Amino acid sequence: MRRARTGALAIALASACAIAPAADYARLPGGEFTSVLPQGATPGTTAVARVAPFELRATPVTRGEFRTFLALHPEWRRGQAPAVFADAAYLADGPAPDGRPDPADARPVTEVSWFAAQAFCESEGARLPTWLEWEFAAAADETRADARSDPAWRQRILSWYAQPATAALRDVGGPPDLHGVRDLHGLVWEWVDDFNALFVAGDSRNQGDPDTLRFCGAGAISMADRDNYAVLMRVALLSSLSAPDTLRTLGFRCVRPATGELR
Amino acid sequence: MTSLTRRHALGLFACAALAGAARAAAPVPGDSVYQLHPHLVDQDGRPFDWGSTRGAPVLASMFYTSCEMVCPLIFESIRRTVDAFDKPVRDKVRVVMVSFDPERDTVPVLKETAARHHCDARWSLVRGTEADARRIAALLGIQYRRLPSGEFNHSSVISLLDAEGRIVKRTTTIGDIDPALVAAARSV
Amino acid sequence: MEFQSLRGALQRTRAFLGLAAIAFVAAPSLAASAAANTGDFGPPRGEPIHAVLTSPPFVPPPIHRNYPAHVIVDLEVVEKTMQISEGVNYTFWTFGGTVPGSFIRVRQGDTVEFHLKNDPGNKMAHNIDLHGVTGPGGGAASSFTAPGHESKFTFKALNEGIYVYHCATAPVGMHIANGMYGLILVEPPQGMPKVDHEYYVMQGDFYTGGKYREKGDQPFDMEKAIDERPTYVLFNGAEGALTGDKALKAKVGETVRLFVGNGGPNLVSSFHVIGAIFDEVRFEGGTNVQKNVQTTLIPAGGAAVAKFRTHVPGSYVMVDHSIFRAFNKGALAILKVEGQPDKTIYSGKELDSVYLGDRSRPNLEAVTRATESARQGTLSLQDQVKAGEALFTGTCSVCHQANGAGIPGVFPPLAKSDFLTADLQRTIGIPLRGLTGKVTVNGTQYDSVMPPMSQLNDDEVANILTFVLNSWGNPGGQVSADDVKKSRAQGTASTAAAAH
Repeated sequence: MRRARTGALAIALASACAIAPAADYARLPGGEFTSVLPQGATPGTTAVARVAPFELRATPVTRGEFRTFLALHPEWRRGQAPAVFADAAYLADGPAPDGRPDPADARPVTEVSWFAAQAFCESEGARLPTWLEWEFAAAADETRADARSDPAWRQRILSWYAQPATAALRDVGGPPDLHGVRDLHGLVWEWVDDFNALFVAGDSRNQGDPDTLRFCGAGAISMADRDNYAVLMRVALLSSLSAPDTLRTLGFRCVRPATGELR
Repeated sequence: MTSLTRRHALGLFACAALAGAARAAAPVPGDSVYQLHPHLVDQDGRPFDWGSTRGAPVLASMFYTSCEMVCPLIFESIRRTVDAFDKPVRDKVRVVMVSFDPERDTVPVLKETAARHHCDARWSLVRGTEADARRIAALLGIQYRRLPSGEFNHSSVISLLDAEGRIVKRTTTIGDIDPALVAAARSV
Repeated sequence: MEFQSLRGALQRTRAFLGLAAIAFVAAPSLAASAAANTGDFGPPRGEPIHAVLTSPPFVPPPIHRNYPAHVIVDLEVVEKTMQISEGVNYTFWTFGGTVPGSFIRVRQGDTVEFHLKNDPGNKMAHNIDLHGVTGPGGGAASSFTAPGHESKFTFKALNEGIYVYHCATAPVGMHIANGMYGLILVEPPQGMPKVDHEYYVMQGDFYTGGKYREKGDQPFDMEKAIDERPTYVLFNGAEGALTGDKALKAKVGETVRLFVGNGGPNLVSSFHVIGAIFDEVRFEGGTNVQKNVQTTLIPAGGAAVAKFRTHVPGSYVMVDHSIFRAFNKGALAILKVEGQPDKTIYSGKELDSVYLGDRSRPNLEAVTRATESARQGTLSLQDQVKAGEALFTGTCSVCHQANGAGIPGVFPPLAKSDFLTADLQRTIGIPLRGLTGKVTVNGTQYDSVMPPMSQLNDDEVANILTFVLNSWGNPGGQVSADDVKKSRAQGTASTAAAAH
């Protein structure tokens, strides 16, 4: 019995190595960056932040890749992952863990919780990006590292928000941006490591009116750049979530430090 | 304020150990925070098993020592809440405070903080890695972020866990005792 | 306040004054009336009630209850694509699947347990701010909900009135512009006077990337929204939402109460029902009533209650009287009233006769006769002269005077005019193309401007000229409509130089 299980595991590992190529990471140079979330030393003030160079997965994690992960980590399968780490809708329409190829393999994996996403990234020696890293990467378009002041950039992102979530997701692999990263916009929402650091209060209209007792230190975050509603909406969505939550439109990708070592 | 004498503390740990042995056989429920296995250290420098409080009701929250405003209030609130509990609950309840600033909240700092807030043997002030802190915050539904100044922006939540580690009540009432929390503790 | 409750208030006041005499003894009753005024009628009583919500344009039935209750409201957020105009699709974000969202009706003093559900098929997180809630954010702080989740919060409806509710998730303007608004009615404790029909109408402005009625899938346009340049201004979320077979209905002699909201996000509404006068308007949805109102202002994020009685059948068009919004952006709805006409109030069209504007002088018979003769081909010189005289009086005599003498030094005479008779073709061109510059008439020089008489047709010019040629000692002659037509075809403006 045990030998059969080891054998099955070996086959799974072998097929995993055979099927799944090494994940494609793009290198981002880092640099100075003004976030929509105020980064000033005094709470609520804006200041330019320094983002260290990092490597970001070129596309969101796909169903195929997640399936391979599930084969090696059965404790993360639907029904196995405890409720405190994944809600009832976790992988409800997820990749079947039996290892057979599936035409939907190239689509981004969704219905994954923050804990599950963390576990996947750890399994490849990486982690979830911080909000700042994600925002830094997402500011780029095909030719510029920071396209955020361009209304066309915002309008493109906004038109994705306007489309309903009922349409089937397309495969990953949209056009690359300046850094070679794809699909940061227009495909899925994405988890970040510090999603619970984005706490806009549930009612974001009292900007600049910190409820200091509820949010020690500074009060709820006021958006530094309210014109950047395209990014604002990401923050709004992420701050409405809890760690075990899953959404049909929420996926993730991983980050590793530029040196390639896990911090 | 009631404090536990060393004898009481030993008795308490013995009870917990017995109950723990009985429970060890039963698996941790899926909605229990004890599903997480962080590597924590307490204010005495001893490894702290996150699941070691299983079998007792627990008040859990997060803090950082350099916090001027709210964190001292959280300590105060929990102390007064414990005092307000019925005796059977008060005798069993444990308090776990996790730091989200492991860089500065070293073991000596935790020890000093515990002393400053007159924490008795019920209280464990613990630290782990930053990743551990982020995961525990995610479990307890606490939001926090580090500011460039070293200060933290964080929400203030006290969670009541039952003997199996399920969150049965959360309160954001700080400074006052939340009667709902006291009531919930009766049925834990 | 409606009339009945005003009377009630008066009675209460009188009673109060009577009690004031023994006020110190009667302290408990005083306290009771004070509590009644604050809208807090104490804890809820009886079994919890599940509120009936309706889709627009319908309104839940009036509440027949004289105690505060625990009311449970379940409202779901659904993001869905619907037609905003024929062949034009737009992704709306809705409360309850409609724009505006479901109508909520509770009683003042009720404890409302509000459940906001975010459909798992949605992409965005949402919350709700009800203007009838006294509390932070109107509930928005406590109802921020991710897709696939439900939030619950409870509030007491302290103030009666008609209130807007809307989503308040950042960016708020976009959520509202996508249709996330509706109305909640908090009835006064004594209820509202009975009417025959109650309807729910809500105006909103919409901003699409494409132009008005440009077909296909249209995205939201944030720049247009910020610049407040709507593509559509609509009642109830779509062109034709309340027209044709979806028009509101009533019969003659019935009372209609309209709960009219304005979700915005930007525009204020000048709400008017063409052909009707509002007997009573609770302007801004507040307690005071204005009577006999033609058009009422409804602020963005506000509402009003308009009540009127129908008297005459027909289609009554509801508009935003910033009128280009009604006819070029879609802010049109219809109330169809059926029943017996009442001619004493409105007769309909009684007469359709010719109206000749500023040329309507007593003698126009001649013109009519000339026109008729010309048509039959029997136009005589006499007919032309008579008609020409009538027309001259209305048009030319202003400058050239009724006796053709002109004004010395200013306007040349037509009487015995050598200039006129010297060149008939030139003369025919003058009423057609005007005449400017120096001319010498009967030895006197004139330098003036005569504009072209472009309001005259060929017949009229012919008749006028024929009259002039046969009057005041002029040698006579006849100009036909054909002559004028030929001259007109030459088309060049006449100047003094050309004339010479």
